[in-house]
Amino acid sequence: MRAIVKNGVGVFHPQGFLDGNASGVSFLSIDDIHATVHSNADIILVSLKKVIFFNRNGLDTFVKMFLKVRSENHIIVGFCDYDKKKYEAIQKFYKDELTFSLFKTQEIATLFSSNFKNQSKNILLYSDDKSQRAALAIELHDNGHNPVVAQTKKEFDDKSKKEGAYDFIIDETYLGQIGQQVATRVTGNAIIYTLSTFLDAEIGNSFNIAYHNNSLNVGFRLFIFDAYKVVSMNVHALNFFSKLASSGAEYNATICFVGMTFEKTPIAFKETLEDAGIMFFDQMNDILENKELLDELGASSAAGAKTKRPLNKSIVSELPNFIDATVATIEMMTNSRASKEAAKVEEIDIKNKENKIASSIGFYGDIDGMVILVFPIDIAKKACELLIGESTDDKELILDTLAELVNIVGGKIKTLLSDEKINVDITLPRTYPDVDALLEIAQAKKGVQVDLLFNDEKFLFFLTR
Amino acid sequence: MNLWLECTIQSYKGIYVITKNIIDTYIEQIPPAPEALKKTISFLNAAELTKAAQAAQDDLALSSYLKELVNKPIFGFKNEVSNISQIFGILGVEKSQQAVYNYMITLLSPSKWKMFQLNRNSFYNLQADLSVNWQKILHHLNISDKEIHSAITLLPASILVAEALFCQKKEDVNLLRSASAIDLNTILQRLCAMDLFDICQAISQKWEMDAKIGVIVQAASGVKPADDEAINILGKWMHLLLFYTLSKPSYIEAGLNDFIDFQIDYVDDIYSEFAQVMERYLS
Repeated sequence: MRAIVKNGVGVFHPQGFLDGNASGVSFLSIDDIHATVHSNADIILVSLKKVIFFNRNGLDTFVKMFLKVRSENHIIVGFCDYDKKKYEAIQKFYKDELTFSLFKTQEIATLFSSNFKNQSKNILLYSDDKSQRAALAIELHDNGHNPVVAQTKKEFDDKSKKEGAYDFIIDETYLGQIGQQVATRVTGNAIIYTLSTFLDAEIGNSFNIAYHNNSLNVGFRLFIFDAYKVVSMNVHALNFFSKLASSGAEYNATICFVGMTFEKTPIAFKETLEDAGIMFFDQMNDILENKELLDELGASSAAGAKTKRPLNKSIVSELPNFIDATVATIEMMTNSRASKEAAKVEEIDIKNKENKIASSIGFYGDIDGMVILVFPIDIAKKACELLIGESTDDKELILDTLAELVNIVGGKIKTLLSDEKINVDITLPRTYPDVDALLEIAQAKKGVQVDLLFNDEKFLFFLTR
Repeated sequence: MNLWLECTIQSYKGIYVITKNIIDTYIEQIPPAPEALKKTISFLNAAELTKAAQAAQDDLALSSYLKELVNKPIFGFKNEVSNISQIFGILGVEKSQQAVYNYMITLLSPSKWKMFQLNRNSFYNLQADLSVNWQKILHHLNISDKEIHSAITLLPASILVAEALFCQKKEDVNLLRSASAIDLNTILQRLCAMDLFDICQAISQKWEMDAKIGVIVQAASGVKPADDEAINILGKWMHLLLFYTLSKPSYIEAGLNDFIDFQIDYVDDIYSEFAQVMERYLS
């Protein structure tokens, strides 16, 4: 079967009944999917528009192929064109194993395609899952659209009645694992990983260690494992987490487990993990809402990384790409023009530390390093206005939004580099409430510093390793 | 005589197309039904099974087709059935008539399939699958009209017509279809204002099949509902049955699943009833 590829979305259209173990394989082969990927599709979907009946067996064959292709190509895979009944059926079939994406229509999927970027579509979106709402909004924003998130179903219904107010309205849509998003970021610079079911030797394969190490390198110090859904842990997983904790100790990092019960796991494991430095909490809010504890655990302070690595030629030669991505994004977000003042290779040098906040994002892969941006707070506020829709003086909110902005910059850099056939992944962005907090991790690092001028406000770009 | 039409496809605005002319030639080349067949059918219409069997025996191709068909697993006979009057006796009037019509349709089938991955055997299987399930549906709907029983036989004819018209330009057709999600039926309809089902109806007229058969098959296309509501309902069941059958792995692999467009809304109201009928026979 051949897929119809439009705007980077390749869609297969089976018809009739998807009810057998073999039906998916008969409809399309892994070669069909590869052919579609080669025709420049970064989203591969199976349309359920003309499917009158399906069961889990019927979908499973597609899902197996999806996951295989995704692990090879890092593309978005899933189903589209369904009604409420089918959406609920799929949710019911897969429950916690929903690792692929669901788009209500093919048009909605297009909004997430990198081939349909920067169209600045106004999009109203709603999902009853809070983290899905955030994920959808971030991805859409990443792609250069203007998402408006409805916080409640009622708000969504009210807003969606307004005719012509939005180019697209998104609901009943689900983002499965996209690219490298293995973690969620929360206020306070803690990284939360989610674990579920049985933890065994497989954790070594499924946990993205490169991502974790780079998060450490960028300056994240608090890692929380959401273990509410964990049933049990065996000795292989125990060893894995012990090692993870001791390797993090070098960076002064803290690892916490939240919601882990030891009903089916030997209680001795808990002691071993505690010996390795891992902390246990019953509730997520025990950590996140306790500011003192957060500070103590290192979430908002960072000790400098132990390893100092010099810049190399391959990174510096990509500098124009980094600058372009950053400048274009900030210009877009603040509606201002930028001009370059100076560029030099040295340790980071911030002349006026007053009223400045900072953010960093790491990248790793074919080349690795870290981008640091130092914003005058007014520019940050202006950029945030666009993201949250109103002006605010709430510093925490500004920092949070800034992190998203830097995430967008990171995404841009990733795309620009991939055009040059350099594949990198990005870490989550980290923010610093003032310049001193930044200097704790960046002071001794050498890098390329570019001073930029946005509407007479000084803005600093720093690239290092 | 080789009945198979050599498609002449001409290039038009960069896309290879089929013209109305080609379709007319195709219909013209369809031979009239052989005498033995006509006799068999008229005896079956009069419910004279013995005489029908005698007439059928005169046509060797027909009798061998009947033997092959009736011994397919889907008919479920334990022992091989080889005598024609025995076959007609077992099948009864309606199924016998259906079998003979099925045979007539196979007269149009190519010696080598190009567009679809089918062969003589798999095409016979398709006919048998459709026929047997159609009987179940008519039984459920309490319909005993002989012509309606036979109407299913014309449905596979749409596949034959598509094969005949598109086989030579398989690559071009596939290219066209990879750019836009259109089925063969729509391509034909847009190019010639005549679709696969119109051609099927023309075939049925040429073979002097009952007029009702052609009308029901038109309704089964899913895009041309009839004025008569009773016929429409049959059309819906037939459309759904077609896609139920074409969702089987062997037919999907043959490339049949998407040769015409499945009209999901058209069959929405009968779907749960259909599922019940099929399930009842499966369990």
